[in-house]
Amino acid sequence: MRPFRYERPDRLADAVALLGEGSARVLAGGTDLVIRLRDGSLRPEVVVDVKRIAEIDDGIHEVDDRIVIGARAVMTDIAAHPRIRADFPALAEAALVVGSVQIRNRATLAGNVCNASPAADTAPALLVYDAVVVATGPDGERRIPIDAFFVRSGVTTLGPGELVTAIELPLPTQPRGSVHQRRTRRRGHDLASVTLACAITPDGTTRLAYGSVGPRPVLATAAGHAGPVGEVLERMLAAAAPSPTSLRASPEYRLAMLRVHAERALDTARRRLAEQAAQ
Amino acid sequence: MSDPLRIEVRVNGRTRAFEVRPHHTLLDSLRDDLGLTGTKACCLVGECGACTVLLNGRSVDACLVLAVEADGGDVVTVEGLAVDGQLSALQAAFLETGAAQCGFCIPGQLMAAHALLATTPDPDRAGIEEGLAGNYCRCAGYEQIIEAVQLAARGTTGPSDAHPAADAHSARAAHPDAADRPDVADRPDAQVAPQ
Amino acid sequence: MIGGSPWRGGGRSRVTGAQAYVADLRFEDLLHVKLVTVDAARARIGRIDPARALAVPDVRLVMTPAELPDPMPRFGPQLRDRPVLAVGETAYHGEPVAAVAAETIDAAEEAAGLVHVDFEPLPAVTTIAAALDPSSPLVQDPALRPGDALAQTNVLREHRFGWGDLAAGEREAEVVVDGTWSFPMVTQFAIEPHAFVAAPDGDGIAVWSAIQHPYWLQRVLASMLELPLSKVRVFAPDPGGGFGGKQHAKYEPLVAFMALRLGRPVRLVLTLEETFQAVRRAAADVRVRSGFRRDGTIVFRDIEANYLVGAYADIADRVVAKGSYTSNGPYRTPAVRIVARSLLSNTVPSTAFRGFGNPQQIWAVESNMDEAARRLGIDPVELRLRNLARRGDAFLPGDLPADGVWADTVRAAARRIGWGSPLPAGRGRGLAVGLKEGPTTGLSYATVRLLADGSVVVHAGTSDMGQGARTIYAQIAAHELGAPVDWVTVVMGDTAVVPYDQQTSASRSSVLMGNAVLAACRQVQARLRTMAAALEGVDEADVVVDGGEVRLGDRRLEIADVLTRGLGRLGGELIGVGEMRKEAQPEHPLGGTAAFYEFNCTAVEVSVDIDTGDVTVERHVTVSDVGRVLHAGQVRGQDEGAAVMGLGHTLMEHYVWDEAGRIRNLGAIDYKIPTTMDLPRSMESEAIEHADGPGPYGAKGMSEGALLCVAPAVAAAVRDATGAVIRDLPLTPERVWRALQDRTPV
Repeated sequence: MRPFRYERPDRLADAVALLGEGSARVLAGGTDLVIRLRDGSLRPEVVVDVKRIAEIDDGIHEVDDRIVIGARAVMTDIAAHPRIRADFPALAEAALVVGSVQIRNRATLAGNVCNASPAADTAPALLVYDAVVVATGPDGERRIPIDAFFVRSGVTTLGPGELVTAIELPLPTQPRGSVHQRRTRRRGHDLASVTLACAITPDGTTRLAYGSVGPRPVLATAAGHAGPVGEVLERMLAAAAPSPTSLRASPEYRLAMLRVHAERALDTARRRLAEQAAQ
Repeated sequence: MSDPLRIEVRVNGRTRAFEVRPHHTLLDSLRDDLGLTGTKACCLVGECGACTVLLNGRSVDACLVLAVEADGGDVVTVEGLAVDGQLSALQAAFLETGAAQCGFCIPGQLMAAHALLATTPDPDRAGIEEGLAGNYCRCAGYEQIIEAVQLAARGTTGPSDAHPAADAHSARAAHPDAADRPDVADRPDAQVAPQ
Repeated sequence: MIGGSPWRGGGRSRVTGAQAYVADLRFEDLLHVKLVTVDAARARIGRIDPARALAVPDVRLVMTPAELPDPMPRFGPQLRDRPVLAVGETAYHGEPVAAVAAETIDAAEEAAGLVHVDFEPLPAVTTIAAALDPSSPLVQDPALRPGDALAQTNVLREHRFGWGDLAAGEREAEVVVDGTWSFPMVTQFAIEPHAFVAAPDGDGIAVWSAIQHPYWLQRVLASMLELPLSKVRVFAPDPGGGFGGKQHAKYEPLVAFMALRLGRPVRLVLTLEETFQAVRRAAADVRVRSGFRRDGTIVFRDIEANYLVGAYADIADRVVAKGSYTSNGPYRTPAVRIVARSLLSNTVPSTAFRGFGNPQQIWAVESNMDEAARRLGIDPVELRLRNLARRGDAFLPGDLPADGVWADTVRAAARRIGWGSPLPAGRGRGLAVGLKEGPTTGLSYATVRLLADGSVVVHAGTSDMGQGARTIYAQIAAHELGAPVDWVTVVMGDTAVVPYDQQTSASRSSVLMGNAVLAACRQVQARLRTMAAALEGVDEADVVVDGGEVRLGDRRLEIADVLTRGLGRLGGELIGVGEMRKEAQPEHPLGGTAAFYEFNCTAVEVSVDIDTGDVTVERHVTVSDVGRVLHAGQVRGQDEGAAVMGLGHTLMEHYVWDEAGRIRNLGAIDYKIPTTMDLPRSMESEAIEHADGPGPYGAKGMSEGALLCVAPAVAAAVRDATGAVIRDLPLTPERVWRALQDRTPV
């Protein structure tokens, strides 16, 4: 691994200043960063460890009408959190399939989002739940809707010196059935060749978000009674454009599996919605 | 630009203060700075789990943690499992079920299993499979590893009856008597540098 | 003792972290080595400029071909074709062109990236079709194979085996089943990446390697360094998994030259990625034509196999020959023709890998049997039983007759899987058999020392890479000499101390070295008999030493008491030397007959998700004919471990290459092996024991059998569940899904 300078600021302002230096990378869980530092695909001069910053926490809190997930919160804790499991099951399910236990004990949701991998498993869930990314930069704090956060593989709308401090999830105002589904090459942990989340509300509004089938995860929404299910699904999945060069799956298979998993996710989401209504 | 940093880490119950290079991982540091070579290096991308240790009570892949990140933390490695030469229940269970073949993955398996049992004292089979999925065994003694975890969880030393495989084997191979139990002596052989 | 499950020899150190693998050893004054490679498969190498690398602080040497003897020293177990460093051209992706030694691994890594290498990529041969195409570039310089008519082609060797009148078989056949099956390139993926240390040792050299054949390595190094064997000391600490990938020399010559040049110990520890570029299994396309009478009797088999080996021969052609020689399987077939080729390519040199060339053939032949069963309307189990060789049948003319009651194995597997009972929709069952020749030659020596207190030291040159050889030898010595098993120390892994053993391969060590240990124990017993007779004043003929005790008529004496009295005040010990030879037979196509056969029957039940192609192995039954179980836990570990490894190449593992011959899935992120979550939902293993093997107490070797026929059993089950016939491995969800799309509606 190439040497670099290591900084561990205590204060957010110091981190922002360090990140403004140019060739700096944020270290949260490190489960992606350290791999890329070792393989040489990233060669920062400074690595800024954000785990001791007082303003960034590792907790998951309910604040007013939303859940606030600190940027240091790890997948293990997100997957186990009762409120997330109850109200945002697709996120809990997605967090639970990010790598192995060892990875989930380190990997943060914020890091998963900031990497902006098209295959990020938590991204579709965050999209269907209308998550908001809270970032602080030289110009102060900014709240970025998740759909406006992703640009393409590895690229987000974060500006220079901007740092994610939390991810917020608006609490549901009505019953909602939701679920995460994915496709991998084996049952054991793997990068997804299709990853998607689906949420349905009683008025029939369907939100479907999917990743690993294009340069960034995509959110599609359909109002209730928008037409025959098959046709609606076709329209919702139309933005999928899988890479022809990926070695994990062919575009043809990805598209077919996107359809299969979307249908299965719709079924599960409907069932979960009905279960909620019955309670 | 990457001067050594002084860190203090509690390792296997003992506080150690030492210098690390910022780009060295906890795996590098345990093996090279502290001489704790029980933690193994294999894939270095967080897939195989050979380098699993406990960091502040949780299992992590030491290949993906910078040593400096452990500053102020608590690390347990495989060398920390036995107390005063007494094997832990999990270590004994691994020997009892024959879980260690080549043995290279075993330190990582033990640490992952240790973490699993710490949070889930009586895991079901699916829970064990999930809990150990981050630890490759290419000898694929997975069944015997899983049985070892079950054995340790039950806190007994009897033969496993939880899985058909165990029945299949116990059916044809009578369980040996107590005299057969002890470890076959394994003194370090032939591993001395020439003078 | 025999057949029980004492704790594994070396087990305690394996659960405490004390077990020292090569990379764990500590050396004073050690230098670290990093390989220098280019981003190409086949490439012309121009100037190599080490200047920037040498400017890195703490760098001590940049080894280039110019620093090595001219002509470049070459080595290899079959052909001396592999250079210490690539010279002129690289032959495959990952072949080192230089190596750096530095005081720290950081400096070595940094400098390795700074060695400037001018290279020009050249067209690479990476497929079977390209290797067979006469217009493709030659992988090897013909000068490496002087006098070989095939040297102007990419065919390394072509093997022809067979017997009987094929034309008569063709005439007699009422049903002919013909197909071609492909087997992917896969890698051993030992969790311990290969590690090598070399150090000057007086006027010789010492080398540490995680190697299965330390004595073979000793010969290779002695020859290359022009040293007597006694001046080459090979230490072979227990490997962290071998699976064949650690049989033969890889980078030991390189580190030896570097250590001698520098006068200091040097160490090279491969990354996992570098192991992918060091060892793999040969891919193969196998065409099988089988003729049957309507009653299911096989009347001929015609097999043509093309194995894609790598850029250097390593042991790959032996793999092809041995894997193909038995490719008709355990069947009584009157006429057989086998043609098998090893094809050179610009890919990682393939080498031994658990199963040794047989899994490729068995995938094809057993899948062909499954198709035949359907065509004939005969149950697949019945079809196999009808043609299976019975004990004593000369099913492989000129070789060891069938050495087991193999039908027992098949019936046990069929019974355990519930063959013939109804299954829910979406489920299917498959069953296949696998046969592999054990070692064809062998030579093992062992010494057994019965110490004055009755404890025992065994010296055996086997490498315990996970199969548990330490345990087996300790059990034998304990059983024969009456010592508790934990009073036996087994010393391995030092060619200066431990007597010669030919190699650790072909599941031989319980049988061949086991017999050597047993013979050494018998010698000690003979000395005990002499001692006891003298002490008791009786005739030696009246003394029996057996099962760990000394008997004189009705009297039983403790061995320890006899020793105390017999050795007297000076103490001492009784020493036995055992030798086990299996001589070569030059007229035999393989140079010798099989010491034994490994025979396995695998039966599985699968479910298939027809929307996604996911295959779930619901039940996996593996039954092996082992002759006699020496250690129940270890037999089980070998069988289940081999089964899971077989599921790897059956369901998920394969190298992916780009058009230039570079490996695209280099490393663990995109090369997947089974985890705990990929296990069959239930696994059962059983050992069939008729004490009919040539090893101690009737044992046969058994460490590979359960891998041999996993793929055809699973594919047959997928076909049974869905009707989809798949002839290419692995059965990834995508491949199964495609087959389901393509299948003819029933």
